[in-house]
Amino acid sequence: MIVCVAVVGHQNNPLYIQSFTEADDALKLHHIVHCSLDVVDERVNNPKRSGPMLNETFLGLLYPIENYKVYGYLTNTKVKFILVTTDLDVKDADVRNFFRRFHAAYVDAVSNPFHVPGKKITSKTFAERVSTIVKSFGFSSAG
Amino acid sequence: MANFLAQFQTIKNASDRLVISVEDVSDLWPTVKPAFEGRLPFKRATLNNKTRNPVFVDTLPAEFILTTDSRLRSRFPQEQFLFWFREPYATVVLVTCEDLDEFKTILKPRLKLIVQNEEREWFVVFVSKAHPANDQANKMAKKVYAKLEVEFNTKKRERCCKYDMHFPEANFWEDLESKIMECIRNTLDRRVQFYEDEIRKLSEQRLMPVWNFCNFFILKESLAFMFEMAHLHDDALREYDELELCYLETVNMTGKQRDFGGADHGDDQATLLNPINKPLTQMVQEDTFREFEFRQYLFACQSKLLFKLNRPIEAATRGYSFIISFSKSLSLHERILPFCMREVWVATACMSLIKATTSNYTDGDVAPDIEKEFFRLLGDLYSLARVKFLRLAYLIGYGTDIERSPVNSASLSLLPWPKPAVWPSVPADSSVEVLEKEKLILQTTSRTKHFGIQRKPLPLEPTVLLREANRRRASLSAGNVSEMFDSRQGPMDGSGFDASTRMSPHKAPPNSMTRTNSSPGNFDSSIDRPMRLAEIFIAAEHALKQTISSPELWRSLSSSEEFEKKYLELTKGAADNYHRSWWKRHGVVLDGEIAAVAFKHGNFDRAAESYEKVCALYAGEGWQDLLAEVLPNLAECQKMINDQAGYLLSCVRLLSLDEGLFLTKERQAFQSEVIRLAHSEMKDPIHLDVSSLITFSGNPGPPLELCDRDPGILSVTVWSGFPDDITLNSITLTLNATYNTDDGVKALKSSTPIVLHAGRNTITLDLPPQKPGSYVLGVLTGQIGDLRFRSHSFSKVGPADSDDFMSYEKPAKPILKVFKPRALVDLDAAVSSALLINEHQWVGILVRPVKYSLKAAVLHIDTGPGLEIKESHVIEMESYAGVSQNKDDQLQNDCAQLNSDKNFERLTLNDGKIEFPNWASDNPSILWVLVRAISDTLSRGSSSATTRRESIVDGMRTIALKLEFGAFHNQIFERTLAVHFTDPFYVRTRVTDKCNDGTLLLQIILHSEVKATLTVYDAWLDLQDGFVHTGQTEGRANSSFFPLVISPTSKAGILFSICLDKTNAEEARKQPESILNIKYGISGSRTIGAHPPVMNESTGVDDARQELIFRSAITLQRPVLDPCLAVGFLPLPSDGLRVGQLVKMQWRVERLKDLDDEGVSKHNDELLYEVKANSGNWMIAGRKRGYASLSTEQGARIIISVLCMPLVAGYVRPPLLGLPDVDEANISCKPAGPHLVCVLPPPLSSSFCIPVNS
Repeated sequence: MIVCVAVVGHQNNPLYIQSFTEADDALKLHHIVHCSLDVVDERVNNPKRSGPMLNETFLGLLYPIENYKVYGYLTNTKVKFILVTTDLDVKDADVRNFFRRFHAAYVDAVSNPFHVPGKKITSKTFAERVSTIVKSFGFSSAG
Repeated sequence: MANFLAQFQTIKNASDRLVISVEDVSDLWPTVKPAFEGRLPFKRATLNNKTRNPVFVDTLPAEFILTTDSRLRSRFPQEQFLFWFREPYATVVLVTCEDLDEFKTILKPRLKLIVQNEEREWFVVFVSKAHPANDQANKMAKKVYAKLEVEFNTKKRERCCKYDMHFPEANFWEDLESKIMECIRNTLDRRVQFYEDEIRKLSEQRLMPVWNFCNFFILKESLAFMFEMAHLHDDALREYDELELCYLETVNMTGKQRDFGGADHGDDQATLLNPINKPLTQMVQEDTFREFEFRQYLFACQSKLLFKLNRPIEAATRGYSFIISFSKSLSLHERILPFCMREVWVATACMSLIKATTSNYTDGDVAPDIEKEFFRLLGDLYSLARVKFLRLAYLIGYGTDIERSPVNSASLSLLPWPKPAVWPSVPADSSVEVLEKEKLILQTTSRTKHFGIQRKPLPLEPTVLLREANRRRASLSAGNVSEMFDSRQGPMDGSGFDASTRMSPHKAPPNSMTRTNSSPGNFDSSIDRPMRLAEIFIAAEHALKQTISSPELWRSLSSSEEFEKKYLELTKGAADNYHRSWWKRHGVVLDGEIAAVAFKHGNFDRAAESYEKVCALYAGEGWQDLLAEVLPNLAECQKMINDQAGYLLSCVRLLSLDEGLFLTKERQAFQSEVIRLAHSEMKDPIHLDVSSLITFSGNPGPPLELCDRDPGILSVTVWSGFPDDITLNSITLTLNATYNTDDGVKALKSSTPIVLHAGRNTITLDLPPQKPGSYVLGVLTGQIGDLRFRSHSFSKVGPADSDDFMSYEKPAKPILKVFKPRALVDLDAAVSSALLINEHQWVGILVRPVKYSLKAAVLHIDTGPGLEIKESHVIEMESYAGVSQNKDDQLQNDCAQLNSDKNFERLTLNDGKIEFPNWASDNPSILWVLVRAISDTLSRGSSSATTRRESIVDGMRTIALKLEFGAFHNQIFERTLAVHFTDPFYVRTRVTDKCNDGTLLLQIILHSEVKATLTVYDAWLDLQDGFVHTGQTEGRANSSFFPLVISPTSKAGILFSICLDKTNAEEARKQPESILNIKYGISGSRTIGAHPPVMNESTGVDDARQELIFRSAITLQRPVLDPCLAVGFLPLPSDGLRVGQLVKMQWRVERLKDLDDEGVSKHNDELLYEVKANSGNWMIAGRKRGYASLSTEQGARIIISVLCMPLVAGYVRPPLLGLPDVDEANISCKPAGPHLVCVLPPPLSSSFCIPVNS
């Protein structure tokens, strides 16, 4: 189950963060997303070690934590997408697919002329679209 | 073969180095042993690895063992084969012989026998006992050795070397080592080959039922072990890796249920670094090994090799992933493992891995980024251990000691509870402990947050422990969970300790009570009744006591203090290592956890320091939700250590967080803290940056535009982030000049208290005159009580956007523009033509504002000399719609005309000042001021013969104007206007005719001087003495001509006939001049020029005929009738004048009549003459000036001759004769002298041609 998705700006500021847990514990997910930026930074700053990943937007699994997984995605504009899932058996292709759709939704949201770049995304449409994407996560047939 | 496992292990443990057997043929070993063993371990060995590539080995330990040694003798051939790795790798045959015969007969056959076993790698060391001094013996030894070489050396290989006991050859040891190495290498190659073949054979059978992993393992490990002995660690590691892969395949492949292991006492302590922890025989199960032990064993072997290879970082990397994957395996088998085995194992595994890797790691060995990665791994290991430790602690009731921070919540609430088959139940005799625990739970009061912040605590548990534990108890039906809550409901209410609070207050307190009462049946039976929280803790504690074998770990869980010690150790370890890695955020966040502990113990300094770091991290990247969690803690610390500045800043930062993050009540609490401190007495004045809280901006729209020197009022929008109104004692706002940095900063002050409401406020500030330029807002500073704050944040149009405080955007928009000095207003005379002098005339002052308001402007009027203002009279002001000068004005005027059709107003002059009406503030207007130019002088006519001598200054009067305008009358415009006044007429006279009867016709020409139509009603002439009017007109012109209308700038003439009269000296003195009187009227407009004078208010408007009098003096001169003298110029010689030729100029002077008695000259017969000539043209000989005698009688004549010589050729003026004593009027020039005479050039002079020698 996806517990949290987040969009983090190029200054590492949160642009959109949405948790999908029932409990009122979004803060811990904020923490997880925030800390995962360490890994993103590390990958971005050490291109030597990330090697072939250099040109790819999908950063893959950031955290091999035993009870949840954090995936990352980095756009060309250094906007990061973070996905936290408690599903321990996730297919990479599913995650890639998820991020692709998430990215498309994000691009649509920030293309809104009323959106101020670098500010939080407040669009309801975006939120709805994201939750749809999150709900359909795992059904890999979905385009 | 599995039976050999025990033996294999023993052998493996016993042998740790390569064996070189020594065949001591001649009992030499004891003698040479020290020297031989002194070479061990071998240095610079070169061996072949598995792929037959040479590998350089630094040190190769080996052992010399005599073939007669029991260790080598007692082996069965089969064993030898299986455990081949322990067999000798080389055989050294030690011989000596001093006699050739002996060699041939005894030694040679014996040696042949020894070396016939082809399996062995051997070589012969011939030891020469001969003393160097003993030549004989030496020779013999050489001979024997030569024989030996012949016998045993082959072409391919030399198998002999010679050792002189007394005097070893220099290269003997090298030779020996290379021979040994060659043997070892060959043996190793052969054995590797053997093992590989065997392993391959076994591998092929892997899918067959006969497959036995143990056998495979023994072979594989033998190979690995052999490599290890040969210090080919890389190869050994590879073997282990392959072994692990193969094992995991076996484990996963077979569907057979196998014993996992881990059920033994002490298994909870990870042994992943200790391969000999448990003998292999103990982990064997059927044909393979138990996973629990065996995987740890394999990892231990691998890590041992890695440490030997000096690769602790790789050990850490592998170890971490091993722990993770092994933990997964443990969770699969959790049901059969002891309670919390997994958690305990992971914790101990992490700790031991940390210990081992750090002790094997030396700083600075590797590249910095790899080093960072290592520290990151250590940090990960620490935090993993920390999480597991926290979980254990929670289970036995230290939950209250665990900070409910995001980091702990993230780690713990996503970590599932242990899943034992049956949740441990309370031991029978533990009721006392339970009671005590319960008491402890009751005593713990949850820490309330500072500022009364009410926040739901973050969960540390994935689900409610109470429910989970009871559900996992076999005996309990899951239905009646709610019953256990109400028993604990009261005391736990709001304590925030356990998840039971989640359920309690709202959901079902009252009716669950009734339900309990209705079914109390199973409540007392201790087995079926659901466990209470304290019981769960006690049960877990007992179960863990069983699980945990490490006394150290158990001690850490034994008391709250010990727990905290360990907790700090782990947290610090993680934080420190993260700080040394790339993962700064992880480190800082964990610092926050340390701070929480420090805070709990009252170590506020330290706590504040760490909290500050955390806050800076979150604030820097704008993670407000997280910041809101930590910042109150920091504030509390700062309050405790009396860091007022820090505390205030924290309060401000709290206030400036997103409004949704705190309740209004909480925000009010923050504000009241700020105000309380601000108004309390502070030791040092505190400067506070409130940029995030109070932001300001200029008003939307164009900037305030001011002219140079204008003060103004600047209106600024200030956004207050305070939840309530706040009173600012004073504020100062600086303005920065945009294009001029040198003296750019101007401060505007407002010292009156300002109350800021929450949200948008508009404040106004007085703006003193500024230098020209454009200004942007700078910094807002001010005081709240004793607190000085400053804000340099600019909000745009909305409230301070929460994201904004990361990027301080400078406002590009200027708020104020001060223009360069320019003309703001123009004062000018409205009319340029002359006005009537000595009459009340309107002077028009054209006031033209140049895009600047003249509201409430005041005009000071100061007239110059000769001009007076009629004070009593009103001043008229009307709007001006004159011809504009340019298009802009045109437009403006058009508008003006449309808007205000001709405003008109009468104003009064007070102390020389006029205040402008409002309508005149923006549009040009004319101010009509009634003035009168005073001139005492009578206008004077002139003769038409003489040219008019005009003096502008006469009619010129000045009006000094000073206009004070601008909002604060700060602008001053001064101008002196020149107004031209004149008489209506200018009079010229001419005697047109002189009749025979002596009547003179005097024509008087009136020039109109004004731009107005003048009407002459009457004109008369008061004549001076010596003149009288002829006829009866009394000097009055014929009335039928009047009124005579004279158009502007035209002329009119009046004829008077007068005649001469006797003069009377007395009369002449009385009236030396004639006076022309003209009664006239004027009709003109003040907008053009002269106009009818204003008599007074009552008649001013009346258009009755105004008759004005104009008087002008005319000087009449009696005509000159008879000249006294006549001067005639006598003709010049007819041959003309030549340059250089003397010529006589002659004038004849003749007295025409007798001189009057009052004649000019006293010397009656003397006449003064003077010849004037241009000295450049003429040279005059003789007297130029002198007296000539001339009789006073009529007709007397003289001739005055002067010799002259012309100097230049051409037409020149001749010399003139003047008579200075005689009035010009009495001289008649008859005939008049020539104007010009012709002077010829000089004749050619022959004298220039005379030869010199004549």
